[in-house]
Amino acid sequence: MFDQIDPRSPVPLYAQIAGRLRLAVAAGELRPGEPLPSVRQLAARLRINPATVVQAYRDLEGEGFVEMRQGAGTFVRDVAPDRRAGERAEQALRLVRQLLADAGQLGITPPELRAALARALG
Amino acid sequence: MSNAIEIRDLEYRAGKTFEVRDLAVNVPTGAMYGFLGPNGAGKTTTIRLILGLLRPVRGRITVLGSEIPREAARMLARTGYVPEAPHLYPSLSVDECLRYHAAFYPTWDWKWADELLGHFRLDRTRRFVTLSKGEKGKLMMLQALAQRPELLVLDEPTDGLDPVVRRDVITAVLDYVAQHNATVLISSHLVHELERICDWVGVMDNGRLVAELPMHAFKSGIKRLRVGGAPALPGDTPFVLLAREPGDGAFETWIVRGWQSPMTQYFDGVGATVREVIDLDLEEGFVELLRTFRGPARAS
Repeated sequence: MFDQIDPRSPVPLYAQIAGRLRLAVAAGELRPGEPLPSVRQLAARLRINPATVVQAYRDLEGEGFVEMRQGAGTFVRDVAPDRRAGERAEQALRLVRQLLADAGQLGITPPELRAALARALG
Repeated sequence: MSNAIEIRDLEYRAGKTFEVRDLAVNVPTGAMYGFLGPNGAGKTTTIRLILGLLRPVRGRITVLGSEIPREAARMLARTGYVPEAPHLYPSLSVDECLRYHAAFYPTWDWKWADELLGHFRLDRTRRFVTLSKGEKGKLMMLQALAQRPELLVLDEPTDGLDPVVRRDVITAVLDYVAQHNATVLISSHLVHELERICDWVGVMDNGRLVAELPMHAFKSGIKRLRVGGAPALPGDTPFVLLAREPGDGAFETWIVRGWQSPMTQYFDGVGATVREVIDLDLEEGFVELLRTFRGPARAS
């Protein structure tokens, strides 16, 4: 799940982790009640600072995506379907914005992009 | 938040050629502080000053609330230190090294030391002198960790180690920090390693601290811009212009610090355009910072 985490990216690591988990909850990849990896496990697996994982989990808790239970761990909460759909739409928009920015730097125009998108979608 | 390490107005001289001047360092409690700088910048000297192994000419050093060097013993009992070069008695076995080290630390944890021995695949009966470089590095780290320190001071702990050993050593540190809220000061010139694990960065060059800030602030503030129709005289810029270089054709490359996206307005005002804003990773930011600190390189 965390293959895309890139320490060299200007996006802070905690934001990358929180973003990936938010999407996993929105897409149903993580089900309500499912536990997240422990802070210790995830820090060791990604070889990052445990405080970074804690910060990601706290952000998700503040947004209502997960619940941190003292001594037991962090668990996915039941997120309303419209909220999950909203999160997916947000993510789609981010992807398109990134595509537009990349295309702009290469001098590719919006009509060209639209044509390419139509072709790729078949 | 209090600081685990605090240095104020520090001055230190070694011979005629090297000195540390006006040094101020703050390592917040619980931070994983990456100490960066080229060889000879003064990182090891600063670390030795922090541990009370060298005496400053003047200035104040406080570590874990103890005044250094006066109260160094109290601080050292709670601090794990991995020096640049392993310094154990060559004829002692691994087991003897551990028992010798453990005797100095009331907080020593044998259960965990045994676990780490297995994890690092170290043979208790081998003599220190016969260990490989990687095994020596792992033994030094094991000793520092098993004393359950509040502060870990690691001076190039992975220098010269192969990637597998490096990973083992770093993972052990992260695992310790995850369980105990220890503060870590780690010096390295393996910038990418620090980029992963540190939340604070201090950069030293030529005996002085060039920058000290949270990792995300360090990384997000320094950018490379491609500027079209760049003015000969930049005037008042809302960012710090570190360097400018002629680029391909009509474009110039600007290295700036303190960048935020609304600042593109500045370029509209001077009749120029920003074609690209390129993020620099920690290593590039570090190199640019040093380059400009050492001498203003202005193309015009």
